[in-house]
Amino acid sequence: MKEPVLEAIDVVKLLGSGAAEVQALKGVSLAVGAGELALLMGPSGSGKTTLLSILGCMLTPTGGTVRVGGLDTRGQEPEQLAELRRRHIGFVFQSYHLFPTLNATDNVQLVLDVRGEYGRKAARRAQDALAMVGLAHKLKSYPSQLSGGEQQRVAIARAIVGDAPAILADEPTAALDSENGHAIMTILSDIASDGARGVLVVTHDPRLVPFADRIVRIEDGRIVGEERGPARRKTKANA
Amino acid sequence: MSLVRKLAFRNLFHDRLRLVATVIGIVFSIVLVTVQMGLYLGFGRMVTTMIDHAQADLWIMPKGTKCFEDPSLLDERKRFRAKAIDGVAEASSVVIGFADWRTPGGSSTPVFVVGSDLKAGGLHPWNLVEGQLTALSIPNAVAVDQSYFERLGVAGIGSTAEIRQQKVRVAAITDGIRSFTTTPYVFTTAARARQYAGIPEGKATYFLVRLSERADPQETRRRLLANIDEIEVLTSAEFRDRSRSFWLFDTGAGAALFAGAVLGIIVGTVIVAQTLYSSTKDHLGEFATLRAIGSSARYIYEVIIWQALISAVIGFCLAALIGGLIVKLTEGGALPIMMTPLMTFGLFALTVAMCVFSAIAAIVKVMRVDPAIVFSR
Repeated sequence: MKEPVLEAIDVVKLLGSGAAEVQALKGVSLAVGAGELALLMGPSGSGKTTLLSILGCMLTPTGGTVRVGGLDTRGQEPEQLAELRRRHIGFVFQSYHLFPTLNATDNVQLVLDVRGEYGRKAARRAQDALAMVGLAHKLKSYPSQLSGGEQQRVAIARAIVGDAPAILADEPTAALDSENGHAIMTILSDIASDGARGVLVVTHDPRLVPFADRIVRIEDGRIVGEERGPARRKTKANA
Repeated sequence: MSLVRKLAFRNLFHDRLRLVATVIGIVFSIVLVTVQMGLYLGFGRMVTTMIDHAQADLWIMPKGTKCFEDPSLLDERKRFRAKAIDGVAEASSVVIGFADWRTPGGSSTPVFVVGSDLKAGGLHPWNLVEGQLTALSIPNAVAVDQSYFERLGVAGIGSTAEIRQQKVRVAAITDGIRSFTTTPYVFTTAARARQYAGIPEGKATYFLVRLSERADPQETRRRLLANIDEIEVLTSAEFRDRSRSFWLFDTGAGAALFAGAVLGIIVGTVIVAQTLYSSTKDHLGEFATLRAIGSSARYIYEVIIWQALISAVIGFCLAALIGGLIVKLTEGGALPIMMTPLMTFGLFALTVAMCVFSAIAAIVKVMRVDPAIVFSR
């Protein structure tokens, strides 16, 4: 594996307090390297989303170390964590989280806008990102005018437009039919294949396994297994 | 251009019903403040209208005079002493007082008599639309304002009535000299004003002083005060301030107007704050997404502040239109609502400040948003 774009080392997370306190993560270590698509699989309540939130710098671990692009996130203020997110991480959410009042281009451009990059150049980059996910013909469409699969493609364009080295995708196909789900995973797989980005997909859908270079299994807050995925083997076979 | 303004604009116009509620809140608030402040300005100007139109560099008045309508009296001999003071070019008497105007039909109405010496510069009727100032020198002649014809039971030049059993004849007519007390002004000579108001011979209410060329007002005032006892000497500006202060603050009228304005601001702030807060709450998922994709807190605050500013501009424009209409409608009334460019600018600043202040609750709400909710929604 190349230099990890995201890394969790012995991460512990306690949620709640007092009698209601639960240990959501019990010393989890996980690294995502550039050029790979890793699947984080596990049943509901296993700690997948908590780990994703911590790797995405939205939640602070109770213990352990998280590195984003090689930078230790310990002791970082919320604004510094936001800076890490906008520079290093692209997100794809299960329910897309597009802005209903903005068209596809603006939705994608928003990632550049929050970095202070705007104007024609930013719009051009957003349009290029949309073209990469096959939506060059839907640049001016609003989310309500797009199908679920198209909305998720816009979300992927938004995740990649800023050239973030890490892409975190939370159940990206859960709201889609199998055809659209397949299309979305193909795009994410292609993103990983360019070698510059690492993609971590959280899912409990076994149909995504063929796209994975690596499958990490989590249960009850612990990594219980890790295996090489078929995607890498396919690539090798093809080669 | 950043998407901040676009996002703010779209957030606002996405829910038009809420936008309408916000704008109504702002319009209601600002129109209320406009009316209250316009009344304050109009009242402030009306209470000094006589002082504004008097030809005086200095006013000599009895000690403790509170306002122009204060009917304390000075001895005429003091006027002669004033005329002898170095720096005084002219000192003329002004006599004021309330009197009872009896119409030819037998009804009566109170009037406020203003008398001054026609030959000296003093306090004469202005805005004459019929008749001449010199006509007041004719026995029994008075000048009245045409807006009070009905009250006074007169029809124009030549109409007659009675004050204190003495015949009066309308010899000149003015336009727009209205009293904030709604008591009509009646202009005449100083001598006749004494008779009408029951003021003894040799007494006057004010002496209006015109300074000689190059005379220093402060030095002349000092000399007047040193040589004449039991008087006060004020410049026109000082007397204006004193009169205004008396009517606006000592009587409580100004406080009532201010209280109305403050109430308007409070109501507007609460309505705008409430609608902005609920709008922010509805868009919380979007703000969490913004935070998740790495926006700074400042970027999100800018969106909310822009929402407040856009609301402020729309609300202010509508309020200014309604305010302008109210100003126009009250223009010729007993108490016109006034609007000055400075007040308009001040109201705009107030609208913006009110809306931005209202955004605080929404900002506090957004500050607490957890970006991780994007994974659970």
